[in-house]
Amino acid sequence: MAIAGVGQTPYRRAHADASTGDLVFRAVSEALNDAGFDRGDVDAVVAGVAPDALAGVNCIEKSVIGAAAPPGAPFFRVNTGGATGSSAMLAAMTLVAAGRADVVVAFALERMGQAVTSQQVFNTIFDPIYEKDFVLTTITMAALRASLLMARYGYTERHWAALAARNHRLALKNPLAHLHRDLTVEAVLESPLLAWPIHLYEACPMSEGACALVIAAGDRLPGRGPVAWVHGAASYSDSYAMGDRFDRPEGTLVDLVTLRRAAEVAYRQAGIADPAKEIDVVEIHAPFSSAEVMAYPPLGLCTPEDGPAYVDALIDGDAGGGSGGGGPGPVVNPSGGPMAANPVSATAMIRIAECALQVRGAAGDRQVDGARRAVATGQGGATQFSSACVLAAEPPGGP
Amino acid sequence: MPACFVDGLAVEIGPPDPARNLTELIFQTVRRALDDAGRDIDEVDSVVIAAHDLVDGRSLSSMVCAPAAGAYLKDEIRLGDDGAAAFSLAAARLEAGEARCSIVAAWGRASEGDPDAIARALFDPITEGPFGLTELTVSALRASQWLGRHGRNGSADSARAAATERRAAAASAHPGAARRLVAAPAGVRPPAAGSGMASPPPAVGAAPWPLRPGELPCWADVAVAMVISDRESPVRVAGIGHGSEPYSPGDRDLAGLPGLTLAVRHAWPSQRAPGDVDIAELDGLTLFDEAIAAEAAGLATPGEGLRALAADGRINRSGGSAAGYCAPAMGLTRIAEAALQLRMPERSTHRYGGQSAPGDASDGGADCAPARSARWALATGSSTVAAQTHTAVVLEAQ
Repeated sequence: MAIAGVGQTPYRRAHADASTGDLVFRAVSEALNDAGFDRGDVDAVVAGVAPDALAGVNCIEKSVIGAAAPPGAPFFRVNTGGATGSSAMLAAMTLVAAGRADVVVAFALERMGQAVTSQQVFNTIFDPIYEKDFVLTTITMAALRASLLMARYGYTERHWAALAARNHRLALKNPLAHLHRDLTVEAVLESPLLAWPIHLYEACPMSEGACALVIAAGDRLPGRGPVAWVHGAASYSDSYAMGDRFDRPEGTLVDLVTLRRAAEVAYRQAGIADPAKEIDVVEIHAPFSSAEVMAYPPLGLCTPEDGPAYVDALIDGDAGGGSGGGGPGPVVNPSGGPMAANPVSATAMIRIAECALQVRGAAGDRQVDGARRAVATGQGGATQFSSACVLAAEPPGGP
Repeated sequence: MPACFVDGLAVEIGPPDPARNLTELIFQTVRRALDDAGRDIDEVDSVVIAAHDLVDGRSLSSMVCAPAAGAYLKDEIRLGDDGAAAFSLAAARLEAGEARCSIVAAWGRASEGDPDAIARALFDPITEGPFGLTELTVSALRASQWLGRHGRNGSADSARAAATERRAAAASAHPGAARRLVAAPAGVRPPAAGSGMASPPPAVGAAPWPLRPGELPCWADVAVAMVISDRESPVRVAGIGHGSEPYSPGDRDLAGLPGLTLAVRHAWPSQRAPGDVDIAELDGLTLFDEAIAAEAAGLATPGEGLRALAADGRINRSGGSAAGYCAPAMGLTRIAEAALQLRMPERSTHRYGGQSAPGDASDGGADCAPARSARWALATGSSTVAAQTHTAVVLEAQ
């Protein structure tokens, strides 16, 4: 099966001039046109929408089914927090693999610009009694991990700032990005401190927008252009309690055990033995620069102990495509990643969409030369839900 | 469709239990389903759950609830949809070869929030909110339209009364469900367990016209879990179908559910007809939703849905929404009820408010007991907004 079409709205702080239906219609229409299908070809729809409270409407996706499919179409709504977009894609793949559908539209929608403050909504993901004494928020949750990474592996505040500056610089080539900022490391370090050691410009923005993918069985592809073939995909779920994950046998709180397991399965399905050499592009779902480094070891880009050196190489242009495209190894986040746009429900799907565009050679100014194989990650909950998806230019088994 | 079987199930429908929090309720229900299946958690390689944040009272409630449903370091996905849709996706994972044994779980505790307030949030706050739309008021509009089309003769009213009476009787006969619940009007919390309150008459005006109090759902705390796998068992999943309605109530023919008709048509094996059904567990918020669902499912002709509910012993032996209701658990509850009735007289470990299941030797439950020869069962689940999306599941006794 393959991703036959990709559609994305621009990502903005708020789309004041577009209704929810407008956003979904635009993204789905673009994806269907890209694939060479029309709505009548769609057998099922999978919608990805994360916390309802962000949009202020319960089950907002139900109002826009008609924007994606003909009347009566089978419909599923997925909500796995930050991983919603990739979970929706995986559910769509399941329907195709099961033979339930030949053509599925998966869309992810975010309207968090309608929320007065997203943090108040995000705070309700934590226990209102046991955890309120710890001032636990999505930001302090990430800060806890960042400080643990610094203590255990030797990362510094400068690593977080330099990675953020790199992502923002890469996003300058992405016209869909919400933020276009050419930042120096010093400018990032001078931005307001949210929760030590995380600064404002090391954090993702609040963004709105919609992303859509058309997933089709191999024998239903119109054959009018390159597609992104799915070579492997998997997801795993972890315990909620962060305290239980500090030093358990399966891995520590910053080891991203679920991403490691998901990547192992996806790589095995794709026949990838040495990801650092066999993958051309990596799109990582990490809403903070400090969170991004947690994904490198599970994806096989470096060991946990070598993480700071790998980040140094990324920053200096000696690895991962460097800050502007040079350096050996997979190019990391050529789109700029979630720091450039973070429509929560859609962010993980955007990673897949960007990988699909890369292996098709259709990523515009952010295209990585010669990209043939890419991996996208999804991350949700308290680094609790992880997914990995491997896409390639050639079908499994070769052309 | 590839082999997919019901291994085990557990259902809890009851009043609020102050001794257990939500995760404990989920964990214990899933544990009982695994025990019913004779499975260890290590044998499970997939978890699919259905839950709504606003019902659970916290955003991304699966963060804390998914592990309780057995999802620790497993492939888990949560749908913000009806539990029957979760069942369908879990079965699709088996059909695709992605998993061999899956937990499906859904829950909702009506005691945790005002169902009407949650339902109001389903509608656009600018264009629809001012009209006071809720799931229940749309159901009332549906009843009004149905009555306008089919209820102009006197027999419709007697059928309505008979259907109400049978529904209440079935719910009362259902071990532990309505019998232990106060038949609370919509939006009113049932009393805590052990409060000693008898069932008071519903408050005047609680039922939006033309609905009557006895036609309303009985709000309850519900948790349901099923274990399905590719291992042969007494109940096989024979077909699954889906359908949907337009979003806006104004764009629908409220006296019908064409999306459900589509779902049922897709679910039935090609060589069978809906009329072959021996057991039908139909999800519906109110009596009229159940009657219209019976018509949409092909179990009654248009206009005969109430009469079918009153007289057709195949339909909703469990008592339907009168035996306890809270979205998004009801579609999976209907599937579990159907599976349970198919596999009787095997003893089940599932529990209704602490009492024995139908089929237990100690229990009367005559109205719940289907014919021993029952082979085909249809179960349906409908989801927001106002039964907009549907899942139909056909089960076959082996």
